[in-house]
Amino acid sequence: MVTYIIRRLIGAVFMLTIVSMVTFAIFFVVPQLAGATPEGMASRYIGRTATEETAKLAAERLGFNDPLVVQYGRYVKGIVAGAEYDYGAGVEHCPAPCLGYSFTTQQPVFPDLMNRLPVTLSLALGAAVLWVGIGVGIGVLSALRRGSVFDRTAMIVALAGVSLPIFFTALISMQLFSYGNPFDFAAKGGTYTTIQDSLPLWAYSLLLPWVTLAFQFAASYARLTRAGMLETMGEDYIRTARAKGLRERNVVFKHGLRGALTPIITIFGLDFGLLIGGAVLTESAFSLNGLGKYAIQGITDQDLPKVMGVTLLAAVFVVVANLIVDLLYAVVDPRVRLS
Amino acid sequence: MTAPLDVPESARESAPAAEAAGMDRKAIQGRSLGQIAWMRLKRDKVAMAGLGVIVFLIVVAVFAPLVVKWFGHPPLEFHRDMIDQETQVPKDAWGGMSWEYLFGVDPLWGRDIFSRVVYGARISLLVAFLSTLLSVTIGTVLGITAGFFGGWVDTVISRAMDVFLAFPLLVFAIALAGVVPNDAFGLSGDGLRVTLLIFIIGFFSWPYIGRIVRGQTLSLREREFVDAARSLGARRPYIIFREILPNLVAPILIYSTLLIPSNILFEAALSFLGVGVRPPTPTWGGMLSDAARIYTVPHYAIFPGLAIFLTVLAFNLFGDGLRDALDPRGNR
Amino acid sequence: MRRKPVWAMTAVSAALAMGLAACGGTSSTPSGESGSSGQPAAGAKNAFNAALTGVFNPSTKKGGTLKLANSGDWDSLDPADTYYNYSWNFIRLYGRSLTFFPGKPGVEGAKPVPDLAAELGKPSDDLKTWTYTLRDGLKYEDGSPILAKDVAYAVARAYDKVTFPNGPTYLNEMLDWPKDYQGPYKSKGADYSSAVEATDDKTVVFHLKEPYSGFDNIVQMSPTIPVPEAKDTGAKYKEHVVSSGPYMFEKNEIGKGFTLVRNPHWSEAIDPNRPALPDRYEVSTNVNADDMDNRILSGDLHVALEGSGVGTAALSKVLTDPALKERADNVTQQRLWYTSINPTVKPFDKLDCRVAVQYAMDKTAYVAAYGGPTGGEIATNLVPPTIPGFKKIDLYPSPEGKGDVAKAKEALTKCGQPNGFATSVSYRAERPKEKAVAEALKESLARVGITVEIKPYAQKDYFSSFAGKPSFVVKENLGLVVNGWGSDWPDGYGFLQQITDSRVIRDGGGSSNTSVRIPEVDKLLDQARLEQDVTKREALYAQIDEKVMQESVILPGIWAKALLVRGQGLTNVLVSDGQQMYDYVALGVQ
Repeated sequence: MVTYIIRRLIGAVFMLTIVSMVTFAIFFVVPQLAGATPEGMASRYIGRTATEETAKLAAERLGFNDPLVVQYGRYVKGIVAGAEYDYGAGVEHCPAPCLGYSFTTQQPVFPDLMNRLPVTLSLALGAAVLWVGIGVGIGVLSALRRGSVFDRTAMIVALAGVSLPIFFTALISMQLFSYGNPFDFAAKGGTYTTIQDSLPLWAYSLLLPWVTLAFQFAASYARLTRAGMLETMGEDYIRTARAKGLRERNVVFKHGLRGALTPIITIFGLDFGLLIGGAVLTESAFSLNGLGKYAIQGITDQDLPKVMGVTLLAAVFVVVANLIVDLLYAVVDPRVRLS
Repeated sequence: MTAPLDVPESARESAPAAEAAGMDRKAIQGRSLGQIAWMRLKRDKVAMAGLGVIVFLIVVAVFAPLVVKWFGHPPLEFHRDMIDQETQVPKDAWGGMSWEYLFGVDPLWGRDIFSRVVYGARISLLVAFLSTLLSVTIGTVLGITAGFFGGWVDTVISRAMDVFLAFPLLVFAIALAGVVPNDAFGLSGDGLRVTLLIFIIGFFSWPYIGRIVRGQTLSLREREFVDAARSLGARRPYIIFREILPNLVAPILIYSTLLIPSNILFEAALSFLGVGVRPPTPTWGGMLSDAARIYTVPHYAIFPGLAIFLTVLAFNLFGDGLRDALDPRGNR
Repeated sequence: MRRKPVWAMTAVSAALAMGLAACGGTSSTPSGESGSSGQPAAGAKNAFNAALTGVFNPSTKKGGTLKLANSGDWDSLDPADTYYNYSWNFIRLYGRSLTFFPGKPGVEGAKPVPDLAAELGKPSDDLKTWTYTLRDGLKYEDGSPILAKDVAYAVARAYDKVTFPNGPTYLNEMLDWPKDYQGPYKSKGADYSSAVEATDDKTVVFHLKEPYSGFDNIVQMSPTIPVPEAKDTGAKYKEHVVSSGPYMFEKNEIGKGFTLVRNPHWSEAIDPNRPALPDRYEVSTNVNADDMDNRILSGDLHVALEGSGVGTAALSKVLTDPALKERADNVTQQRLWYTSINPTVKPFDKLDCRVAVQYAMDKTAYVAAYGGPTGGEIATNLVPPTIPGFKKIDLYPSPEGKGDVAKAKEALTKCGQPNGFATSVSYRAERPKEKAVAEALKESLARVGITVEIKPYAQKDYFSSFAGKPSFVVKENLGLVVNGWGSDWPDGYGFLQQITDSRVIRDGGGSSNTSVRIPEVDKLLDQARLEQDVTKREALYAQIDEKVMQESVILPGIWAKALLVRGQGLTNVLVSDGQQMYDYVALGVQ
């Protein structure tokens, strides 16, 4: 078990390295192939009144004159050992993991990410509770009453749910439930309240994004649970369980659902990991200042440290989620052995 | 398995069924597998409706110029007489919807939304089909290679798939689409943007097919008929192309059909975020993004939104039906 | 992504020296349809344009919380590092520069009065040395005294454009800095007294390279806000700017927002300029623009900070609802939205091909792109009407500004392209209005056979790497560049120099002048700088304007306006020529 985890962690570090290298390459190699000079790249970050001399100084300060390998090495070193940042009046130590300083705001990226993580986490967590509860519930019910009116309606709604682009649903839900009525009860966009400030307001401010996001996920989880349940309920061990004279409730929840849950756990891990890494569309549609919006901002400003930060953090979440999923597998499904 | 959007992983596939597909299939005498599947599919009215919609959309997209000529106005033509010059929104109620303008006109320029939706189908379907083709090709080749050869080849390819899966793909795709210059690879304008979209989407979706193919290949490799062929002295290419590949056709077909709708959503998302095909060429995502800014004119959002919804729904319905037809076990 | 950085600032008014008195400024007359035409000024009654000519809802009542939002974010809160005009407006709440644009409606609000200084600057006879004496009893938020050396230090640190890339550079260029000076961080301990010095605790002396009579307007800008050297943390100073004004930072979360509370060491006794009505300012940043508009309309929010007007969606709501419209002000800005026609790109090297564009363009579509008549009026030449000495020059007239297709075709024939040609237009990808302009150009020019390919570029690099880079323009065939400019100060020179002087074009890119390379114009600009007589100088500006129009290297689009909405419960609302938006120092809440 321990060796398994260690091996997985080594694999994870390897993966994060690749992810960071590719991101780095996109922002530095591609522009250079297109003919950008270090000064040219630096001139993006020094405003419009800048002289060529300032551009040169800025390129030097941002380290654009060094070979790419050196620049990348410096970045990695910052993550592992921290870095020093010259903010003019002095030098600041940026403790590990130092994800660098934004080119535009000159703020360290890591605290920024930590600052925005709660927003995305709140969004993802709340939506996840909704979609797992509703999705799995409907899926189980549908499977048990296969062919019923409930089943058919639920599955049609579910299929519609997975077919709707989230930015469209968000638009429509804001039209209906926020400004411009007709059912104006939801919190206004951009009024996110932190959970520390007020729990009810926090939930209220996120209600619409939660429901919108969960609608889509719940739909697919319902479909998945239903399919899984139908499959497991046809297995021999269920027949055995029934034959033993177990109560139907036990058969369904202890044996049936358990078997159907394994693939759902896998997918939930991935979904959740990726969602934390940036619910880009949901956050921009509902103007939540989370990681996704931060990433978009970084891309718009060509602010590499920001984009790198989000990409790496997202990758970390996916990797961790994968690991947890695999560990959970062993718990849920006794047949799985980790090696 | 990848989920590039804020879209559920499970919308794209269900893993257990994937493992099951392509296995345990016994041909009944006189009828090929394809014939049986087609018979089953024909009985599935919902799937056939999906297929009907798909065919209809393809026809509309291919003959867009004719459709627009008969039922609309050129998609780029301004009709500013339809617009209130004070506020820049359509003068008439319902966004100017009439027999003349079936879906009304867009704010500001008064362009025919119907024609723009029709032309949007071209970009949407073209990108979705070709990017799916690309990812299926890459995924199949690498999946078979990994599954068949095993060892370090498998390790490298599997790791590569893991890396792809760990990316916040949408963020990455936006970054990539943003830094590519206007003229590249000998292309420019819409041609370049479409190609770019196809490559970005296709390139990010392959691991998901790749994983399925790899898993299938792994189990097929150990099956008796492959052993038999091997002991008869068949060479590797023969085994791959004659023994394994035919058995992969069904799962590949199913997941291609299910990948298309998710690629449509991916393209729409990229256009929505402003890195798709350039204006004024109409795209569904791009229209939605404009509409989001002018939310006071709801009809502008509804038609492109419905177009995406119907297209994706049709592919999902058809894909589901196809899965049931090719792999009847999954629905038992 | 709806940031509207307003690069070109208007705060530097050379009004006194250059005789701005005749300038109408932002005081466009209220529309006749508003109810209170009898008494437009100084009323509490809501009426369209009520804050343009007078103070709307005047009050001296203190207290309350003023809520503001910004759909983007500050370039920086640091006085050395900010160049948005809303920022220069707002910064006066927590920082006091030597002089101040008073909170008075119209043109009076663009004439500097002493602020930190006890009186306006005393120039030497040659106008090259300017001396300012500080008021008595000035204190920072921590109670320590504000000294003259803090002002000198603030000016010196603003010199460091690597640490403070965003701020204005007028003082960098005008003062006599030591050779190779790089600011107090890099050139530690270097003596900068040749540029600016504190001769005692209360006297600041500036040394200019060239005589300049309007220096009071230059020291109105944020870099003269004092910074205590002991508290200076360079690029991190923006996290906590030490207040010299009536408000200080309570908390500041960069990227999210901040709150200002009263500075206990500030009093009216040491500051006659600021009414300081609210107790608290709550500012949130990176708010979705539509949400921001909606919250102002519904009364949750008082002010949209950027002062660039409501968005497309809110615009149609406001204009069609009389109850909302009477809360709106249509402010005229000293800004031109235009399109550069690059003679470096063939066939625009031929004059007649450029002229064809002037005739082919339907300018009403340009107006539409910016939201209709409330977004601006058709421009026929460069200099906006509110700039003194304005002369309307209409060399390419067409009925209602819709273009003259016959004349355009005639011009095309003359330049040897009777069937039109193909070219490209660039715009800033983050700006939907510029996208609309590009679409309008494509549509309009297609009428005469010119096919236009539309190419968006990131706003961040627009001038530094793309449209402002001469080699790129040629390579990408960017015959047309969607562009815009607002005056750095309300005077022809401030408006024209950056967009018509060919010497600002650099091979490395970065200039917003992409198309004007006329030696005669350069000469006229030099002449204007030296010309002391106002009338003659203004005649020169008109001459430059006309010359550029004759050469047809700029297609003027519109002279901009913005539709601002007063939040509910606001008092003391006014628009001055100094700010061209609501004066944030004057505002109060009920």
